[in-house]
Amino acid sequence: MCVAIPARITQITPGELPMALVDVAGRCEPCCLAYHRDAVVGDYVLVQNGFAVSLLDPQAAAESLAAFAELGLVGP
Amino acid sequence: MTRLVLDELLDPSEVRVVVDRAADGSVARARLALSDLPRVEPVLLGRPVARIPALVERLCGLCPAAHHLAGVRALEALGGAAPLPAQATAVRRLLHHASAVQAHAARAATLGRDPADVAALARFAADALAAAGMPSHFPATAVPGGVRVTVPAPVREALLAAVPDAVAAARRIALGALADAPDPAAAPLAFTGADVALVDADGRPDLLGTHLRAVAADGTVLHHAQPAARLTAVLAEQHPGAAAPRPYLRMLGPDAGRYRVGPVAQLGVGPLRTPQAADLQDSWARGPRAAAPARAIMAVAAVEAVAEVLSDGAVCAPPEPVAVTLTGLPAGASGVGWVDGPRGLLVHRYVTGDDDVLHAATILTPTAQNEPWLADLLHAAAQGDGTQGDGTKDSTQDGTVGPLERAVREADPCLPCTAAPLGAMRLTLTGAPDTPEGR
Repeated sequence: MCVAIPARITQITPGELPMALVDVAGRCEPCCLAYHRDAVVGDYVLVQNGFAVSLLDPQAAAESLAAFAELGLVGP
Repeated sequence: MTRLVLDELLDPSEVRVVVDRAADGSVARARLALSDLPRVEPVLLGRPVARIPALVERLCGLCPAAHHLAGVRALEALGGAAPLPAQATAVRRLLHHASAVQAHAARAATLGRDPADVAALARFAADALAAAGMPSHFPATAVPGGVRVTVPAPVREALLAAVPDAVAAARRIALGALADAPDPAAAPLAFTGADVALVDADGRPDLLGTHLRAVAADGTVLHHAQPAARLTAVLAEQHPGAAAPRPYLRMLGPDAGRYRVGPVAQLGVGPLRTPQAADLQDSWARGPRAAAPARAIMAVAAVEAVAEVLSDGAVCAPPEPVAVTLTGLPAGASGVGWVDGPRGLLVHRYVTGDDDVLHAATILTPTAQNEPWLADLLHAAAQGDGTQGDGTKDSTQDGTVGPLERAVREADPCLPCTAAPLGAMRLTLTGAPDTPEGR
């Protein structure tokens, strides 16, 4: 299934292929912003296979992370 | 399972095509590496069955509305829901068809269609989704037996006023896609499997249909209209639980029973009901039956379906869900919910254990069902690609759209790379040991 996890952007490196560092349930990971070049630090995004595939509002991100936690896919 | 899922989500792997070669270097087989699309059923087992749709729809990055509706339908099948109130049916149809418009508009953008038309469609879809209870990425629309939301009359009027422009934009996009479709002589490899899609009571394609129809490549109707309760008698997985389960039509067996889903199949199983899309479908059927124009035509059909829903006024009635009992379910009871999403048939099947928890589940995605079709397309593309040995090849190196990228776009697997502009899809070719996922 096309599983995607919410994450918060903590740093952006602009460029032809903009990259970000995102906080994924406490893990710091790289993420490509090619499909959401207008995202800014602090935004929440859905990450699938290393790409931000959608922008999220904070409430939706929190609810989604809660579902991941309920399923044991991320830490408490 | 925990580490596996997270690590794959975070790995920017784009798309990997695995090519197995014979001793003489010729292409023996090609397939998409589906390990990036893990099965989620194992993490769901043992949880309250009533919670499953809410959990699954949160996991999906691309089609949350489709998972939302398929999951609630599965619960209704388990709990024995009476026919839905007209208002609930209308709001669900609004949500589902608007989500199809949204998805197809995004695909049109990647193909370079007129940005004004794409923007008009996307705006119409976003407004309709918000009205149907999906103001952001996740829907909060359906509950077992009904819906939570109603559409205010002024919102309905505003959406109805926007319909003509949305239909016109969708139609222009579809005409452009039809004009750009490849010559029949150069068409993608004809798929020899069946087309499978949901239909209405009259056997016509319906994204929120109640019955499943299967039509063979030669036009023979294999299944006229099977209800969801018959799912396991109609479809089976050759490799149950695998990332590439190779589902097939039982009546034909694992090899001959391969099938595909999605817009091409939706147009292939029967005539569309809405007039503008039906006209376009006739043109499509006389050509190479390519996927890009099929997606665009289904966008027209979805806009027309939204217009129908808005016209009858039921969406504005107060929500009155019918009762659905999800406690005290017998162990071993099963419920199937399905919808035909932007990429094709999505199935949720839940089996209960003791104490109303989930004992077994099948989440059958369009990408998993289209994997055999995509493997055929990739095989043909790899043979003609000139790729040699076990080297890797990025099809974007020369900025053109190579045959492998065309193959991936045709089947449209739910991977981020499919959102890339034409010629910008990063593909990596690898040789790999034989694994069950590609068999």
